Amino acid sequence: MSLRSEIDNAIEIQNLSVAYSAVVAQSGSPGSSGFRRSTKVQKINALSDVSVNFPAGKVTGLIGGNGAGKSTLLKTIVGVLKPSAGQVSLSGRPHLLTPGMGFNRVLSGRENVILGGLASGMSLEEVRSKQDEIIEFADIGNFIDLPTTTYSSGMFGRLAFAVATHVDPEILLVDEALSAGDTAFRKKAVERIRGLVASTKTIIVVSHSSALVSEMATEAVWLHRGKVRMQGQVDTVADTYKAFLDESSETAQLQSEKKE
Amino acid sequence: MVQWAPLLVDSIRIFPHGENKKNGRNGALKASYVRKATRSGIPPLRDYLTETYRFRTFAMYWSKGELKSRNFDTTLGRLWHYLNPFLFGLIYFVFVGILTGGGLNSTTRLAFMVFNLYVWTLLSSVVVTSVSSVRNGGGGVLTNSAIPKVVVPLASTFSATNLFLRSLIAYIPLHLIADRGLHIEFLWIPLMLFLTCLFAFGIALIFATINIYLRDVSRFLPHFLRLWLYLSPAIWEFERVLDSGVINTLARINPTYSAFSAWTIILDGSSVIGGPSLGRQVLIFSAWAVPTAVIGFLFFISREDEFAIRN
Repeated sequence: MSLRSEIDNAIEIQNLSVAYSAVVAQSGSPGSSGFRRSTKVQKINALSDVSVNFPAGKVTGLIGGNGAGKSTLLKTIVGVLKPSAGQVSLSGRPHLLTPGMGFNRVLSGRENVILGGLASGMSLEEVRSKQDEIIEFADIGNFIDLPTTTYSSGMFGRLAFAVATHVDPEILLVDEALSAGDTAFRKKAVERIRGLVASTKTIIVVSHSSALVSEMATEAVWLHRGKVRMQGQVDTVADTYKAFLDESSETAQLQSEKKE
Repeated sequence: MVQWAPLLVDSIRIFPHGENKKNGRNGALKASYVRKATRSGIPPLRDYLTETYRFRTFAMYWSKGELKSRNFDTTLGRLWHYLNPFLFGLIYFVFVGILTGGGLNSTTRLAFMVFNLYVWTLLSSVVVTSVSSVRNGGGGVLTNSAIPKVVVPLASTFSATNLFLRSLIAYIPLHLIADRGLHIEFLWIPLMLFLTCLFAFGIALIFATINIYLRDVSRFLPHFLRLWLYLSPAIWEFERVLDSGVINTLARINPTYSAFSAWTIILDGSSVIGGPSLGRQVLIFSAWAVPTAVIGFLFFISREDEFAIRN
């Protein structure tokens, strides 16, 4: 591993494979019959032999369809899932932006700012010093002192986003979290992400939508069925991905017409 | 979970498994991590414990939030924290008094039962709330963050201990009315409280982990705990099984036998003539509590990533 690659990359992933067992419903069995189990344990190879680097101080988009392994990759980077093989090297503490992580719905927004901040790895002093800024950013008015059970989903999402993006992590991982709130807040959220980038934060944005990734990112990685299909400038990767989707839908349509 | 807290020495980042890396372009000291698979699934313990310690404030606030959210929609609110175990004790006092024909006029017996049921509530609520918190994903902590997952049952232990300490305050008048007296043995209370929490924490970790694979455990748990309560000298006196015999020996092997007999001796201030000494009972309970906590902890952390997948 060269020194140059260490300097330029915030995350280096080498030959990473992640497999796990999940409990799934038995096919063709809507419920249990007598003592027969309606579920079975199935091994899932979510990522296989993935090698990819994420440059420091840039926003990288992670695109791919359902089951491509995007969330698995993020969870492995953050440390929730462990590699079955290979390794992930990180230059900085990662934080997965999760709406409402650590929140207690019965507590007020103000109390949840403290709880969410602590859950995100901030110290108590850090959360207290940023509390006013977070509340101002969330912009939910007097609701801040009411239990979060009284919030609309948009308000809850704004508060959660505000807490998560004031964590000041060295590596921020965003999994489709920008959909929180109305159009005005989404604009504010995008500006916040840009602000984080300007302060040399490394960000990975996951989305099904190549448009959202194009808007946010400068680089992109396309995952397909647990493998890296393409990596490069965001426009190139997003265009190729879009062409692939168009081709796939055309092929599916042709097959369906043939069957008919 | 494969996660290491960094060791920072000047400008060199030292990885716990031996890899070294130099700092980045700006020379700032950054934390660095390498995640790799381990054969046992158990992460390096020192680093895991350091990370757990880092999140101690979160565990305390989580615990405070949990306590605040309980009974928040009732008129009596937090008063229920004191009322619940007292009423629990009163019910058993009436129940056992009628069943045994022992009468209902003994305040000593009432005090004995109420206190023991406070201890039982501590133990059982650590187990039940830990299993339930882990099953529910701990507010996203288990499924989406790198926080050591043991923080979730740890917070449940804090909550239960907090409630137990409040219960102790509520118990004091009853202790005085029952004339159980003030004794030098009270000095053992901090140690016994620590051991009780440790034992409950260990049991909670074991059940919480098994429950991830076998969801029936949480259904079975209330029945198991009730049966365990009846087999423990919490609502009957520990002197009843001092004689030899298979059943009595089995009753004394029960880890909560040594716990409740120690608590009773502490509160009453003297050992039963010919019965076990306080020191011996504390020692026996330690021999249960410490290994249970260690085994539970290792079992739990070796399966941490399963919590994210199966929740």
